[in-house]
Amino acid sequence: MIRAYELTKKYGDNTVVQDLDFTVRPGTVTGFLGPNGAGKSTTMRMLLGLDAPTRGRSTIGGRAYATHRAPLTEVGALLEARSVHPGRTAFHHLMALAHTHGIPRDRVEHVLDLAGLGAVAHKRVKGFSLGMGQRLGIAAALLGDPATLILDEPVNGLDPEGVRWIRNLLRSLARQGRTVLVSSHLMSEMALTADHLIIIGRGRLLADTTVAEFVATAGDASVKVVTPQAEALRDLLTGPGIDIGITADQGASPAELEIRGTDAAHIGRTAATHAIPLYELTPRTASLEQAFMDLTQESVEYRITAPEPTGAPA
Amino acid sequence: MTTPTAHPDHRSHTAHEPHTYRVTPARVVRSEWHKLRSLRSSWITLGSAAVLMLAVGLFMGTTYTSDGGDSDVDTVVLVLYGSMLSTLCTVVLGILVTAGEYSTGLIRASLTAVPRRLPVLWAKAAVFAATVFVTMLATSLVTFLVAQFFLHDTDQAASLSDPGVFGAVVGNAAGITLLSLIALGLGALLRSVPGAIGAYIGGVLILPEVLSMFPYSAVKSALTYFPTQAAGVLGSATPLEGDASVGGAVIALCLWAGASLGAAALLLSRRDA
Repeated sequence: MIRAYELTKKYGDNTVVQDLDFTVRPGTVTGFLGPNGAGKSTTMRMLLGLDAPTRGRSTIGGRAYATHRAPLTEVGALLEARSVHPGRTAFHHLMALAHTHGIPRDRVEHVLDLAGLGAVAHKRVKGFSLGMGQRLGIAAALLGDPATLILDEPVNGLDPEGVRWIRNLLRSLARQGRTVLVSSHLMSEMALTADHLIIIGRGRLLADTTVAEFVATAGDASVKVVTPQAEALRDLLTGPGIDIGITADQGASPAELEIRGTDAAHIGRTAATHAIPLYELTPRTASLEQAFMDLTQESVEYRITAPEPTGAPA
Repeated sequence: MTTPTAHPDHRSHTAHEPHTYRVTPARVVRSEWHKLRSLRSSWITLGSAAVLMLAVGLFMGTTYTSDGGDSDVDTVVLVLYGSMLSTLCTVVLGILVTAGEYSTGLIRASLTAVPRRLPVLWAKAAVFAATVFVTMLATSLVTFLVAQFFLHDTDQAASLSDPGVFGAVVGNAAGITLLSLIALGLGALLRSVPGAIGAYIGGVLILPEVLSMFPYSAVKSALTYFPTQAAGVLGSATPLEGDASVGGAVIALCLWAGASLGAAALLLSRRDA
């Protein structure tokens, strides 16, 4: 469990993070989304006690990160830039970190194998590709078998196989009951990995919601209907909150309708009751990427906070 | 929330018992020792320091002649003249130990593992000081004995049992160690390898030379307590007139190193990493 209370970071007059309040729950993968420069990395560094907040505070596992007696068993972190001395081998890098907690050598070798670095464990990090560097960072994050993982852009620089590996790893870690917070500027990646979303823009919270809820509230859902009796169907469906557009040529038969504000089931039932033939009935949900772009584009003027979900997502 | 089971998000552990994993000062020291010995640059700088002292000592021993006009030079100073070069090597190593972590980003991993931060600096200083002292003491002793092998029939013939000689050999290693600790502190303060090397050269090596040009006796006597000058006192078997006392030199050097590390500690605990 990660909690942030009014977390704020200012550099002089420049406010990077402002009044962030959020909770990251165990058992789910929480995507931490925002465009570049939204304050994701700064927030993560504050959670880990690397940067001191100007105001507000945060806890991980119920206490401030720095007060844990075995922080690596509490939180595993992958930070944006490489945090490795290039002259050291992967094994020695992890072993040096492991010594601080008395973590044994076999655990170091285990996480190296887990990250697929067994073969290059005794090579100096200098020669590692970006993807191998990311894998070493993941191995370091898993070193203490932590209850919480905080990963900043973990798929950066990974090949498709590596991306899938991260995705499966994060999901399995969450299934084991761990808290997983993973940042990204790619909505499409988060749609495949995350259950829950925390979206920030310009350092402010824009949305704290589930993936499904996010699409429904921020997205542009509509139903496409193709029917030869477009006028009749439109008259039957017209009502408060329902928006109907005839998108194909008026005179053409069949015509195409784009209907917002009701669902495909209602449209289908209405058409059946009145014996209006339908050639096509297609619910369209906005792509997550589009919803995300819409939300963050508006982030300058508006602040949209979805209602906090009452229970853990199924 | 002090027991692991009180954490709602703690899963069951199978292979390891996490309650035995805990950060202790001894473990941070062990981590820093592992870091120091797993880098090639540590061996290169320490090895260079040893080789330079030995080479210069050998050169002094083999080329010295009693009528060469150097009879008044302190025996230990003469033989360990290479200490100046060795110190440059260990100074660079001290800076790499701290500033090197910032230039590579490793510091973020180190401080995430030890979020209380200060133990990392103390462990670095302890491991580094012990390593440099042991290496330089062994090198000083070997260099002295090797050089004396060639000097036994000159007026610089001396043995470790002569008054002040053994103390000066030990003091030489201690002086190098404390000078290097100043550099380690500068590295942590400035968080930049070139910046810290520049600050050491400017502040410790050049500044006293500039100050010595001032014609005030107060400045001159203050200068005897500057780092390089105090380290010189520790490495001499017979005190020179006008120099600081051995005790004064030890205190001065410890204060310089302490000030450097103290300032580094203050900033480490306050600054964003």
